[in-house]
Amino acid sequence: MGKSNDFENLREAILEGDQEAAVAIGHQLVESEASLMEPVNIASDVIREVGDKFGAGEVFLPEMVLAAEAMQGFMDVVTPRLEEEAAGEGAQDRGTVVIGTVQGDIHSIGKNIVATMLSASGYEVVDLGVNVVPMEAIQAAESSGATFIGLSALMTTSMPYQKEVVDLLGELNQRDDFYVIVGGGPVTRDYADDINANGWAADAAAAVQVCDQLSSGSTPPSDTTLVYKAAE
Amino acid sequence: MKLDRILDVLERAHTGPVYKEREFNLNVVAQTIAAKVKKFGLANTVDPENPIGSDDDLADRVYQAGFEAAVEIGVLCSDTNRAIRFSAEELQALLDDSPSEFWLGEGDQKVHFRHRGLDDPTPPVWTVPLSIVVSEDIFVDMVHGLAALSTVDCLEGPSLETVYGKPLRSGSPYEHLAGRYQADLMYEGIKRAGRVGMPMDAIGSSTTHYGLLGGYGVEGGYRPKHDLVTILSIGDFWTSYESLFKLTQVYVAGGEHISASTWVMLGGYAGGPEGTAVASVAYTLLMSAVFQGSRAGVPPFDLSYMGNSGDRAQWCLSVSNQAITRNTNLVYHSIANQVAGPGSEMLLYESLVGMTNMAVTGVTNVVGTRSAGGRLTDYLTPLEHQFAGEVFKAAAGMSRAQGNEIVKQFIPKYQDQLVTRPDGQPFQELYDIDTLTPIPEWQAMYDKVKQEAIDAGMPLS
Repeated sequence: MGKSNDFENLREAILEGDQEAAVAIGHQLVESEASLMEPVNIASDVIREVGDKFGAGEVFLPEMVLAAEAMQGFMDVVTPRLEEEAAGEGAQDRGTVVIGTVQGDIHSIGKNIVATMLSASGYEVVDLGVNVVPMEAIQAAESSGATFIGLSALMTTSMPYQKEVVDLLGELNQRDDFYVIVGGGPVTRDYADDINANGWAADAAAAVQVCDQLSSGSTPPSDTTLVYKAAE
Repeated sequence: MKLDRILDVLERAHTGPVYKEREFNLNVVAQTIAAKVKKFGLANTVDPENPIGSDDDLADRVYQAGFEAAVEIGVLCSDTNRAIRFSAEELQALLDDSPSEFWLGEGDQKVHFRHRGLDDPTPPVWTVPLSIVVSEDIFVDMVHGLAALSTVDCLEGPSLETVYGKPLRSGSPYEHLAGRYQADLMYEGIKRAGRVGMPMDAIGSSTTHYGLLGGYGVEGGYRPKHDLVTILSIGDFWTSYESLFKLTQVYVAGGEHISASTWVMLGGYAGGPEGTAVASVAYTLLMSAVFQGSRAGVPPFDLSYMGNSGDRAQWCLSVSNQAITRNTNLVYHSIANQVAGPGSEMLLYESLVGMTNMAVTGVTNVVGTRSAGGRLTDYLTPLEHQFAGEVFKAAAGMSRAQGNEIVKQFIPKYQDQLVTRPDGQPFQELYDIDTLTPIPEWQAMYDKVKQEAIDAGMPLS
C-alpha cells in the first residue's frame, strides 16, 4: 500500500470514527521507516475539521466522540516513536491539562467535549470529573505536572469557584505554576478577565487554540493578558 | 405527591442496570435514538423551510419512536450509575396517572394550567422570566416590573447574583440562605405590582437542592400548595441525587406540584433534528414519570448556538410538541431559547417565532424570555416579556399552517446572526428604573416589530 493511500485511509478512519482501522494504520506506519510527522499532522487536521463541523452543527456529538477516540487510538500507537522524532527535531511537549467542572456543579457535557478535543489534539488530559473543589484541582495539577488547569462552570452560582481557584493559587504563591483556562455557558470573556484567568474559550475548538497560544508563549501566568477565542 | 411512586423511583435508581458514562451516552442513548429514527422512517423528514408542519402522521410516528426510546433508554442516575427504567406498560400507566389540569396561586391570582390541543384557543400560561442573573440592588424593581405586566401569569426568575452582598456559591450555605431570601424579594416585588397571590416556580437562584431546602415550605418561603418546584437535569437522559432530593423535599414539605422540565441538545447524543425530536418526546415522558410532574417538557437546545430560534430547532420543537400534544394529556411545558439581548430587534423576532410555534402546537405553559441567552447579568427587561406574552396569547387559536406562514417570514431576519447575535443592553440602560418605563428607543423597536407582526397576520391589539 502506498504512502498516499495510507494517509487517505487514516483520514477516512478518523472521519468515520473507526478506531480499529486507525490503530492498524498507526502500527503500519510505525513499522515503516517513514517519518510520522506528516500523518500526525494529517490526523490533527482531520480532527480539527470534525471539531469545526461539530461547532457549525454539521456533525453531531456521537460522530465527534468516535472520531476523537479513533484519533486517540492512532496517537497511542504512534506516540512513542513520534516522541523520538520530535526530540530529534527539538519539538515542544504540548503539556498536561487538568480539567474539571467546578464545585457545586455536576454538568459534564461541555467539559467532556473540551477534554476530548484537547486529548485528540495531543494534550495529556487529566479529567477530574464534576464537582471539583478548588484545592483538589490545584493538587491534581501539582501531582501531574500540569501546565494548565481548565475549569468549566455551567451555572452562575458555580462561577465563583473558578475565581476561587485563581485566588487560591495567588494566596499559595503558586500563581505562576499554571495557566488557568475557564469556560462554560454563562462564563463570559469579561468575567474571565475580571477573575484574572489566563484563557477563555467559547467552545472546544477554541479551547485548543487558546492552550496552543498560551503554551507557545513565554509570559508567566501572572503577567499574561487574557488569551481568548470566540466561536468560529 | 405519591410516596409509593417516590420509593419506587429511588429503588430503581439503586437497583437498575449499571452503565459507565461513555457506554450509556453512545451505546444506549445515541444508538437507541438512531435506531428509532430508522425504524419509524424519520430520517430526512426535517423541513427547515416549513418549521411548523401540519403532518399528524409524522407527529404520531415521532411519538411512537419517543415512547419506545423512553422504555429502552430510561434515565441514568449519576450518583449510582444505574438506569431508572420502566416497562411500556408501567410507563403508560404513569403517564395516565399524570394530571391534565391543575391550579396554582391564590385568590384573584390563581392560574389554571390545562392540557391544550393543536390549534387550540385555550389561553396558554406565560411564566416570566427565566432564571437570568440580576444584581441584588435592582432585583425587586425587576420583579415589580415583570409582575406588573398584563400578559404575565406566573413568575420563575430572575436569579440573584449575590446574597446579602456576597457571591452566591452553588452548594454552599449562601445558596441555602438564598432560597428564603429570594422568596422575600419576590413577594416584595409582587406586592408592589399589586399581584399578591401570584404563583411562582421555585427556586430561580438555586439550581441545586440547597436553595429549595432553605426557601420552600418554610415560614415566609415558597408555598407548597400554590407554587411549583422546578426540577432540571444535568444532561440528556441523566438525573442525580440533587434532582431526587428535590423530589423528596417536595414530598416532605407537603408540596403538590413539580415542573419536570429540562432540555435535550440538538447536535448532541441524539444527533440531528429528527433524533432530537424523538429524544425530546422520550425524555419528556420519562421526566414526567420519574418526578410526578404536574407539568413536563423537554425542548431542544441547539448546541451550535445554544438556543432554539433557528429553523432546524424550530422544526424540531414543533414536531415534538405536536407529538406530545396529540398523544398524551400532559400539561406540556416548553422554553423558547432566544440568544439576542434586550434592546435589539432580533430578540423580538426570535420571540415572535418561538412563541407562535408554542401556541399553535399545543404548549400549555412557556417560561421565558431567555434574553441575551441568559448569558449576561442584568440583560433582561420587562418589555420583551410583554411582547412575548402578547404573541403567545394572541397566537392561541391560530392554525399550524397560519403559524408556519408567520415564522417563515421572520426566521430569515436573524437566522444568519444566531452565532454573532447582539448582546443588547442591560436593564439599567434600557429602562427608567424609578418609573419602570422603557427608554424611547427600546419602546420604538417594540412598536416597530409589533406592527410587523400585525401586518403578517398576528392578531395583536
